[in-house]
Amino acid sequence: MGLEIKLTVNGNTHTAELEPSTALVDFLRDTLGYKGVKLCCNTGECGACTIIMDGKPVNSCVVLGADAAGADLVTVEGIADGDELHPVQQAFIDTGAVQCGYCTPGFIVSLKALLDRTKSPTAEDVEEAISGNICRCTGYTKIFDAVELAAKRMA
Amino acid sequence: MAKAEYTVLGTDMPRKGGVERVVGKGVYGIDLNLPDALSGGVLRSEHAHAKIVGIDTSEAKAIPGVRAVVTAADAPDVRYGRSYIDRYILAKDKVRYMGDPVAAVAADSQALVKEALKKIKVTYEPLPVVVDPEETMLESAPTLHEDMPLPKNLPEGVQVKNVCGYTGVNIGDAEAGMAEADVVVDEVYETKMIHPQYLEPRIAAARPEEDGRITVWANAQAPFPVRTEVASLTGLPLNSVRVISTGIGGGFGGKGSGVTSSAGLEPICALLALTAKQPVMIVMDKAEETISTTIRSGCKIWIKTGAKKDGTLVARQGKVVYDAGGYSGFGNQAGGRCTQMVGGWYRLPNIHMDGFTVYTNKQVCGPVRGPGGPQATFAMESHMDSIAAELGMDPIEFRLKNVPEKGDSIVGVPKLRDSSLAETLNLAKEKIGWGKIQLEKNQGIGFATGAWIEGSGPGGGAVVKMNEDGSATVHIGKVDYGTAAPFGIPMIVAEVLGIPTDDVTVLNVDTDASPWDAGTVGSRSMLVSGNAVKLAAEDARDQILRMAAGQLEASPEDLEIVDRQIQVKGAPSRSVSLASVCNAGHNEIGDVIGRGYFDSKASQAHERETGSSQPFTTHAAMVEVDTDTGNVKVLKYVAVHDVGFVVHPKAVEGQIEGAAAMSLGQALCEQVVHDSDGRTLNPTFVDYLMPTINMLPRIEAVTVSGYPGAGPYGTKGAGEIGSVPPMACIANAIYNATGVRVRRLPLSPENVLRALREAGK
Ligand code: FES
Ligand code: FES
Repeated sequence: MGLEIKLTVNGNTHTAELEPSTALVDFLRDTLGYKGVKLCCNTGECGACTIIMDGKPVNSCVVLGADAAGADLVTVEGIADGDELHPVQQAFIDTGAVQCGYCTPGFIVSLKALLDRTKSPTAEDVEEAISGNICRCTGYTKIFDAVELAAKRMA
Repeated sequence: MAKAEYTVLGTDMPRKGGVERVVGKGVYGIDLNLPDALSGGVLRSEHAHAKIVGIDTSEAKAIPGVRAVVTAADAPDVRYGRSYIDRYILAKDKVRYMGDPVAAVAADSQALVKEALKKIKVTYEPLPVVVDPEETMLESAPTLHEDMPLPKNLPEGVQVKNVCGYTGVNIGDAEAGMAEADVVVDEVYETKMIHPQYLEPRIAAARPEEDGRITVWANAQAPFPVRTEVASLTGLPLNSVRVISTGIGGGFGGKGSGVTSSAGLEPICALLALTAKQPVMIVMDKAEETISTTIRSGCKIWIKTGAKKDGTLVARQGKVVYDAGGYSGFGNQAGGRCTQMVGGWYRLPNIHMDGFTVYTNKQVCGPVRGPGGPQATFAMESHMDSIAAELGMDPIEFRLKNVPEKGDSIVGVPKLRDSSLAETLNLAKEKIGWGKIQLEKNQGIGFATGAWIEGSGPGGGAVVKMNEDGSATVHIGKVDYGTAAPFGIPMIVAEVLGIPTDDVTVLNVDTDASPWDAGTVGSRSMLVSGNAVKLAAEDARDQILRMAAGQLEASPEDLEIVDRQIQVKGAPSRSVSLASVCNAGHNEIGDVIGRGYFDSKASQAHERETGSSQPFTTHAAMVEVDTDTGNVKVLKYVAVHDVGFVVHPKAVEGQIEGAAAMSLGQALCEQVVHDSDGRTLNPTFVDYLMPTINMLPRIEAVTVSGYPGAGPYGTKGAGEIGSVPPMACIANAIYNATGVRVRRLPLSPENVLRALREAGK
């Protein structure tokens, strides 16, 4: 009963089969091997599974894989430029914003989507962009720091 | 100070494993790729309390592709537990909470697992359910564990039932002390259950090996206790069980050890794998976790304190009823700690406390971040403000009047070597701007102090193995979830050995190779593994210097290692490379392997003599209360801590901020809600509210120095104490803003509004 779809992930074209009911997060992780996309609540509430789909951040656990047919996706694996980390990635390391790191891919993708949209986001923009991402380790303080540092470095 | 004295310590080394985590290459339990693994799943009780009359697995077993179906009948007749050995890995005869594991399945696909779980027919005979911890103690309550006796230390004449732990605190004569008080304040507080909600789901995987051994992968905080449990289940000796710790996406005590702290996922998985004779992996669903894994318990606290007019505390009496849930789990330990902490950490000559830990038909208590402490402190430090108000004293002055000093004893500590409590109070007052800042209408400032007494606990080891290029490979028994293992531990090794931190690799736990350890719990990573790794690195260094001494014609004591070079102190040109000595060592002593062990007993004996230095803290919050909606906005939050010597400032701040945030969540919104049947009403993240970035203030973590602890270089545990004061701190700020005291958590709009209305505001 498989359904064949074609899509682009981090610039690579994939053609693969999936069941119509398969969630995008499972398809990305289990079929295509993008395990940087994290799975947690499975209800669209925590942001661990955030990816960029045609320019917009989405929770891939509440999107059907089939709906990604023809889409252009970016996962956390596609954000660094080769060995060169994106400023947001570097800032997460430099400020100590990575504790267990399980939430980190989701935050980085959400922030990358924000910075793609606007070069100089306001504090409200930042809060808005990552208000759907839960971190249970840091209390967000170091994540605030990371965003500020990245913005400063990118300015 | 730190930077001058040390090369590596006190700097902000990037987290080990940070790069792979930011690019999505961090491998966690959930990412484990085990070839040919079957999917596993667990059938959980749909009754909070019922007899199991029968389990029919025949239909499930008949489904093609189902490889194993197990129940208690397939497991040895062994129970597990800490204070009370009261729990089977799969419920036998009875279920005691909705979520209790009853059976498990392994099949070719997750879909088949689900189908098979539905086909298992369990016949229950429902029994009366008790969810209220006070009610469960009454004669009229149903009995949860027929064959578990009441605690041996229960005071005479106490008529209770379903009690699985008792802690008494008796200092001085509380009754006589109370009679001398000018002012007596008597209050009751209540906290609710929260779930640690680490983001990565719990997993377990198990593979029977050709040689008769079994390998288990776990994202558990305590791989060695997991090994013990799997061995007891399988009857295998410990050398036939290998537990490998995967990367771990958060734990906070919720991924504690095996059966007592996590609903026994690893032994269940091992049982499936042995039955199917194939590897099996179980990944839990988040909603399944909320109802079945371990939690921070709710409790009810009665607290009555007498004070003199001048603010001197004279006596305290109180009672704690602490909810263990369906099994004793970590309940007795957490409830005991809670009871002691309600006694407080001030100078108080007369205390009497009774603490009861009780069974109810709910999720089981685990060692969740600061077990017992945040709850106790919500009551104790809210109460301190109530007394200050009754006395008409400034809350800071009142506390300062009663802080313990050097040489004093406090509950759980016979003698303090020093006391940082006053300094944290004064600094918190200054940082938040108490008495200086102009507060608007409905704004207020609150304070709460906290302590986390470094209690007794097992020791643990470390091994530092030198490679022939002078780099070091380190084995400890603590896992990496972003605490000491990727920060402080490699820094200590680098400092001692005179090498950069890039030359140090700390391995994750593999019970085949790592030294034994009780688990990454109890704020003990630096105390245990930090001390052990320092000794191990020093042992390695001594071996190296002895070998180099011959070559350099100097005595080992005159040598030092600086930047990978071994040199004569004061004559750095007389040097030889670390690499060459390690390499040559192969022909002299073999590998350079340093061994270290933290001797917990010796450390405690020493502290009994000299007194101990304990971590203290004061938090301060500024809030604004919307009196129309009851909504509380935290405008500013300061957390002043004494955690002894700080090895990695950002890592320590991160621990404080994260711990504070978890309790701020509990203060403002979090709770697991049950109906009277024991059903969890908010199992998914849709209904279980947790703080997001827009709900929390930017927490300002500040440390004070000069009070060295028992850890390496004078560190103290920092992982849990930040979770101790926040609930009281916010309640006190609300009181300061509105004059209304809320004694029941959470301080949600609904509860705050109700309290305001009741007070006629
Ligand atoms: S896993 Fe998708 S939002 Fe939580
Ligand atoms: S770093 Fe662990 S959840 Fe954010």
